[in-house]
Amino acid sequence: MPGLDRILGGGFVEGASYIVQGQPGAGKTILGNQIAFATAQSGRRVLYITLLAETHDRLFQSLSTLSFFDKRHLGEKVTYLSVFQTLSKEGLHAVVSLLRKETKKREASLIVFDGLLNARDQAKTDLDVKTFVAEVQSQAAFAGCTVLFLTSARMEDNSPEHTMVDGVLELHEELVGVRTVRRARVRKSRGSAALGGFHQYEITGEGIALFPRIEAAFGTPSVDDFPDPRPLTTNIEGLDGITGGGLPQGSTTLLVGPSGSGKTSFGINFLAASCAAEPGLLFGFYETPDRILLKAKALGLDLARAIDNGDLEILWQPLTENLLDKLAYRLLDAVSARGVKRLFVDSLGGFERAAVHPPRLVEFFAALTNELRARNVTTVGTWEQRDLFAKEVAAPGPEISSLLDNLIMMRHVEFRSQYRRLLSVLKVRDRSCDAAAQEVIIDGNGLAICGPFEPATGVSTGLAGPLTS
Amino acid sequence: MNIVVVEDEFLIADMLVVSLEEAGHQVRAAAHGAAALQLIREQTPDLVITDFMMPLMTGLELAEALKADTQLRKLPILLVSGAQGAIARDRQDLFDLVLDKPYRLDTILDAVEQLGGQTKG
Repeated sequence: MPGLDRILGGGFVEGASYIVQGQPGAGKTILGNQIAFATAQSGRRVLYITLLAETHDRLFQSLSTLSFFDKRHLGEKVTYLSVFQTLSKEGLHAVVSLLRKETKKREASLIVFDGLLNARDQAKTDLDVKTFVAEVQSQAAFAGCTVLFLTSARMEDNSPEHTMVDGVLELHEELVGVRTVRRARVRKSRGSAALGGFHQYEITGEGIALFPRIEAAFGTPSVDDFPDPRPLTTNIEGLDGITGGGLPQGSTTLLVGPSGSGKTSFGINFLAASCAAEPGLLFGFYETPDRILLKAKALGLDLARAIDNGDLEILWQPLTENLLDKLAYRLLDAVSARGVKRLFVDSLGGFERAAVHPPRLVEFFAALTNELRARNVTTVGTWEQRDLFAKEVAAPGPEISSLLDNLIMMRHVEFRSQYRRLLSVLKVRDRSCDAAAQEVIIDGNGLAICGPFEPATGVSTGLAGPLTS
Repeated sequence: MNIVVVEDEFLIADMLVVSLEEAGHQVRAAAHGAAALQLIREQTPDLVITDFMMPLMTGLELAEALKADTQLRKLPILLVSGAQGAIARDRQDLFDLVLDKPYRLDTILDAVEQLGGQTKG
């Protein structure tokens, strides 16, 4: 589980012991079993110990819908044992001794102990629990065996169990608005540098997938940043000329404009220049790949061929309940997989909608854009403006806008009873640019700039009028 | 019939013991193979019903121990297992009957009658 390993600072330490806590339904048992089967898959053996819980065959039935569950490992690599009767008849000490014998007999390298809460009920004092946990973990450590204690108890930091173990992982499920949000947190981690704070996870048919917060996981970019000053052509007629040859390589451009002003067409033009040396990626929230291809065709641009020969990929994620960090990993993974150099994100608002905790968007976009820059990806991201004709320009908050290198604005303008499309380059990193409003033509030959808009007043308000002398 | 039930899972063991007793059998229960072997040696039952995956001594190991004991070799063994049914069916020398979990109560009661009849016959 790469996400979990990441927040634990490299994974569980061999021979160490951990508490996994969370309320019923948070996914502890799925996590315990997923780790058990991953361990079995790597050829090692696991003891899965239960107390009074659902029967093992009911557990197997519910696990059988999950892809990691492999019946062939049962009783061979993964052994399920119930110690409830031993505990109730002979007490905690007998359980400890049973675990020692079984660990040795089966050469187990992982024990998952599901139901520490029940063991706690059996203990007469805190000291009993502490002794139990200490004994189990010390004998496991001698055998090089890692122990996971799963519990639904809400244990405080000063509980005897917490003070004994090497790490505590908390799984947490809550409602935010109308949606369920699952978050994991490493509360204690001895011997490894954990990524603190909450990290979202999801439970799917493949089990638990955890997505470390981008700003924590990529505090600094994963590769060194070697800025390349050469421009990358926008592939938009007339635009390179007013931006000093194109967009600076490895820069991030914010394209602001209302619906219908030509943002997606801009992106399609930009991506139509994708080639083996500059692979492209469209990361979109609105149009499906087929609709993008139709749109491109109407612009006289053939993206289908670029897709067929691997120069371009279109990834569509519906604007439904998304996990913010999962989106970012999907994007970064797609960038890495093909060494993407031209990236069009339509739109950055798709990330904003997925944010359960919007204040972190500034750090989120900072980490994401830093990473893209360091990987020398030239990024164009759109931002939808609310009104078709507006006096105000609704760009993302100032903190986010300042993370972006270049700013291009597209607008509709009413002039002499005609609707015209304009584009203004407001900012290009480390370069002077011609900020005059340019007229945009979108037709069967793609999107093009056909020169400065005729002198007029009120262009930026959307309602322009002829200059009056 | 005098039956020994071997099962580590309390909920299943409890249900089995109660139903078998209601069907008129005398039942003793053990939470794992090692405890069962002790019960069996104290007083030989007519039938052993055992789970597969258990601590200290598995159902397979128990059956092997019983077959290795000349006095207990003929003792019929019914194995109930959630996942190891296939492994157990390959060892016809060890088990007289293998049932897969989850099973219906009447299935196991029928099986007990059937095996009981065989022993008498």
